[in-house]
Amino acid sequence: MEHTHTLHCVNCHVMASRRVEPAESADGGRLAVRVEDKFVKIRNVKLDGRTEGAVDSREKLLEFCFDYCYWSVDRADPHYASQEEVFQDLGVSVLSGASEGYNVCLFAYGQTGSGKTYTMMGTPDSMGLTPRICQVRWLINTQLSFLEIYNERVRDLLKGGEQKKRATLRVREHPEKGPYVQDLSSHVVSDCKQAIDLLEEGIANRITAATHNHDASSRSHAIFTIQYTQAILENNLPSETVSKINLVDLAGSERADPHYCRDRLTEGSNINKSLVTLGIVISALAQNSQMSSSCQSINSVASEGDGSTVGSHSSSLSGGGGGRRHCFIPYRDSVLTWLLKDSLGGNSKTIMIATVSPSASSYNETLSTLRYAAHARNIVNKPRVNEDASVRLIRELREEIDRLKSMLLSFEMQRNPSPSLSDERDGNLSEIVLQNELKVTQGRHTCLHLPV
Amino acid sequence: MASFNSNEWRAICDKFTNAQNLTEIESRNDKENDPFRSKYKARELLREIYCSLKNFEAGEGEEEGGGESGEQRPTEQPVDGQREDLFGQGFSGDSPAGLRAARLGAVEYYLGVNHVDTEELSAGQEHLMNCMKLLERCRVSSPNVSLFIQVRNQLGILWAGRDETETAQGFLETAESIYQRYMKEDGSPPTDMTEYFAAEENLLTHQERIKRFELAYTHTMYYLAQVYKNLGQTERAATYCHTTLQRQLQLNQFTPMEWALNAATLSQYYITKGRYMEGRHCLSAATVISDLAGEVPSEAAAQENETESERREHLRQKRAEIARCWIKYCLNLLQDAKKQLEDNIGELDTDRQEELKRARRREEEEEEKGRKSALLFGSEDTFDSIASIEEKVMCLFPLDFTEARSVFLVGQNHVTQAKDYFQMDGYVTDHIEILQDHSALFRSLAFFEEDLERRCKMHKRRVDMLEPICNDLNAQYYLMIRRQLMFELAETYNEMMDLKLALANRQADTQSLDNHTIKKFNHLCSASAKYFQMFLDSLCSPEGKFPERLEEEVLRPALVARFRVARLHSRLISTSPTVQLDNLNKSLENYKYVVQYCEANPEAGAAVETELELSKEMVGLLPLKINRLNARMDSNN
Repeated sequence: MEHTHTLHCVNCHVMASRRVEPAESADGGRLAVRVEDKFVKIRNVKLDGRTEGAVDSREKLLEFCFDYCYWSVDRADPHYASQEEVFQDLGVSVLSGASEGYNVCLFAYGQTGSGKTYTMMGTPDSMGLTPRICQVRWLINTQLSFLEIYNERVRDLLKGGEQKKRATLRVREHPEKGPYVQDLSSHVVSDCKQAIDLLEEGIANRITAATHNHDASSRSHAIFTIQYTQAILENNLPSETVSKINLVDLAGSERADPHYCRDRLTEGSNINKSLVTLGIVISALAQNSQMSSSCQSINSVASEGDGSTVGSHSSSLSGGGGGRRHCFIPYRDSVLTWLLKDSLGGNSKTIMIATVSPSASSYNETLSTLRYAAHARNIVNKPRVNEDASVRLIRELREEIDRLKSMLLSFEMQRNPSPSLSDERDGNLSEIVLQNELKVTQGRHTCLHLPV
Repeated sequence: MASFNSNEWRAICDKFTNAQNLTEIESRNDKENDPFRSKYKARELLREIYCSLKNFEAGEGEEEGGGESGEQRPTEQPVDGQREDLFGQGFSGDSPAGLRAARLGAVEYYLGVNHVDTEELSAGQEHLMNCMKLLERCRVSSPNVSLFIQVRNQLGILWAGRDETETAQGFLETAESIYQRYMKEDGSPPTDMTEYFAAEENLLTHQERIKRFELAYTHTMYYLAQVYKNLGQTERAATYCHTTLQRQLQLNQFTPMEWALNAATLSQYYITKGRYMEGRHCLSAATVISDLAGEVPSEAAAQENETESERREHLRQKRAEIARCWIKYCLNLLQDAKKQLEDNIGELDTDRQEELKRARRREEEEEEKGRKSALLFGSEDTFDSIASIEEKVMCLFPLDFTEARSVFLVGQNHVTQAKDYFQMDGYVTDHIEILQDHSALFRSLAFFEEDLERRCKMHKRRVDMLEPICNDLNAQYYLMIRRQLMFELAETYNEMMDLKLALANRQADTQSLDNHTIKKFNHLCSASAKYFQMFLDSLCSPEGKFPERLEEEVLRPALVARFRVARLHSRLISTSPTVQLDNLNKSLENYKYVVQYCEANPEAGAAVETELELSKEMVGLLPLKINRLNARMDSNN
């Protein structure tokens, strides 16, 4: 089920940038992608090359705008973006976000062979973002962990010695510790050499596969987590804050397609008996319909207090009294989403890198990655606070304001106290509460005499 | 195949069987670092078969012109359904030319699927389109109809995956109409593609043919559901999902727990649409079918062996999830009923209640009618069990306490069931979500309760279940959950305060108020204010500073919390003028915040229109009140 929610939750400040990697140019190196400033332009070369007349009117050149775009195809190219350049833009903002106390999450998304791992991890002679981030000066108590998720199973990439067994780890939530992977090893490091050694050890343990598209395609999602403690002053008292950086190398986007599910032979499931992914479709349906039934969130709804408009009021507020129907979607978040929960919501910053192959033969896949990334920029999925309809409260307050006003008015006009509220022994609590305010306004007595 | 000698033909058949075996069985054992090994092998075999068939065709003469990819047509983006009549023109499926085209088409089809499976989508598309071209020369009939449908299924899902939804829709809708027309006009059990390459003695039974053909059409339904979903046609998408589930059950092509979970999820779609009869039907079917998955292994058995342990985990989790779907059913039904019945201050409107009760009879008749026309699940042996579960809970709005209580109790049972699996330790978020639902069930039931004392006790139950959790959770990891709990606790205490007040008002006729009641009132009032304040504090930066600009998603809650804190402070009862003054000043300060924030951020005003208007009034009125209190204190001294 890794396709469903993986990227739907990129919900913070999404900054998309892309990295274009040389692909095996099976078609003689014809390029379909160009990068100009913040735009990626993609041309359907197949259409283009056709004889005149047969060309249909379909869009031939599409443009996508991102915060950063990089061209890393040909080192000789004057616009070639080096790993260092990418680090200066993205890596530095990861580090500064973390030092401000945010949880930072950096994703790479794209088709197999488009260079996700190259961007995130790099090669020995061309270091990627993760090792570069590891090279910065360490703060106190830095801990590293490295895991991969393959077919929704979590494995520790840094459990030396027991590699053969590769036990599946359970993800759990603890009331005090938060979400965690049970038995995941955590490694305290004191310098960047140790960090890079661990990173390399983990990379070597990842599952890669040779496919015809790519000779070392990453089959799994990998999360490299750096957690460190900083000393801060809280209310002028020394205190510690824990920052977390998650660097995520997603599996090829063919396997993370969030929109469509085809039935494949997945482990243990028998295609002749079941439609493996029907559930994903139905959940999406229920989810969409829940969202559309509540398209007016509590934030977009102006509150109404008048009794006359109470109908429309109560039907637009969320929560117990509202018209929003909350349902339960039993499909678990993918393990990836689940683990990154505290990085994706609340106090966190998310950066997404989309990688595409410039080769004409990947036109359709590239287009789909670009569309996805452009779309991800707009995904906002922040949880909302539910609120009861406070119709009664508002009505009461309105009445009170009216009373206060008329009292004031009559007081102003008569310049003397009204005798009507002299009976302090009225035992009605409502009245007492009311008088509590009225009497003050009227200035008759210094205090309220309560019956004992 | 006259021109193949029987040995040649047998060799082709064997290759085909091997390719199938590699694709479907051996590929499952491929290593993670070489995941397509068997599929690549199968691809080679398919290519060889293709060449043999082509050679044979060349030997036969080229009378119909080649169907191969070398044709002059541009490989433009394909659109299906151009041909007027797939049934009327072309070779008949069982003519030699028709059979040849179908065989070659089938090989192209398998090559296409093979490429798609191995992540070479563009190549896969080309093969599938070759298959389409070969079929163009044939007319739909029993020997080839399955291929006609399946190649469109594949192209449909391929284009759908690229977000070319309309293209996908074209292929899939054509597949749908081919099926329908075929079933209407012919309906005989169609040849399965595998039979093109099977020896006489290995041909399939009619039953097996039907099964495979129907399964292909179930996939069409399933893929169309996705297409309609992505086109935003949710109603239609839901119908196709429903049909898919129904067909799986009828044709006995399902895994029980998976089916049950899907039906339970579909119920949630119906619930959000307010269609409780359909929702209840899906849930009842889910409960019945999930039982087919068997008994949960005991804890002892699970400790002994890992498979049993995983099975135990799986069954318990899925059943707990179905229980959670039931909770939502009960909760939404109660809440919707409440909405129907409440007056303008959220109390039960008895006139409305009478009116709805009178209308009930009519609704009951409609329910019967609706049942008959709805898409029902069930095979002969499950139909009755599903119906008997449906009878246990109503699907019309409960209109009085007794009815509401019956819905509440069903919900509460499912709460117990769900909590049994989703325990606090290990499933914090799930556990709390269930508790929140439980609290909401009490809240809805309280609406129907006429006895104020008992109503107050129901709210007390809510506080008791939420308060300890709210205070114990790690504030960093569970920030959002805690915020929700704080808001809910604040509102619950407020509700209890109002009820205490109403009760006191009733009693006051016969006996005088005592200090105890006032203390109680003040306690509830302060508790409510405390939780609103706690919510506001949770928005502060690590240094304890309240944000100058509120994030969009907390804008309204934060301003509402301020507004309500203001109101609560002015309601506290005190005999001491100093304390009164203090409370009024706190109240004013919070009203002022709302006004000033909206002045500084004019766009915020729209989110809290009423609160802002009232706050402005109070900011105008309260200072006068405070001045008078001050003046009076001075004069008394």
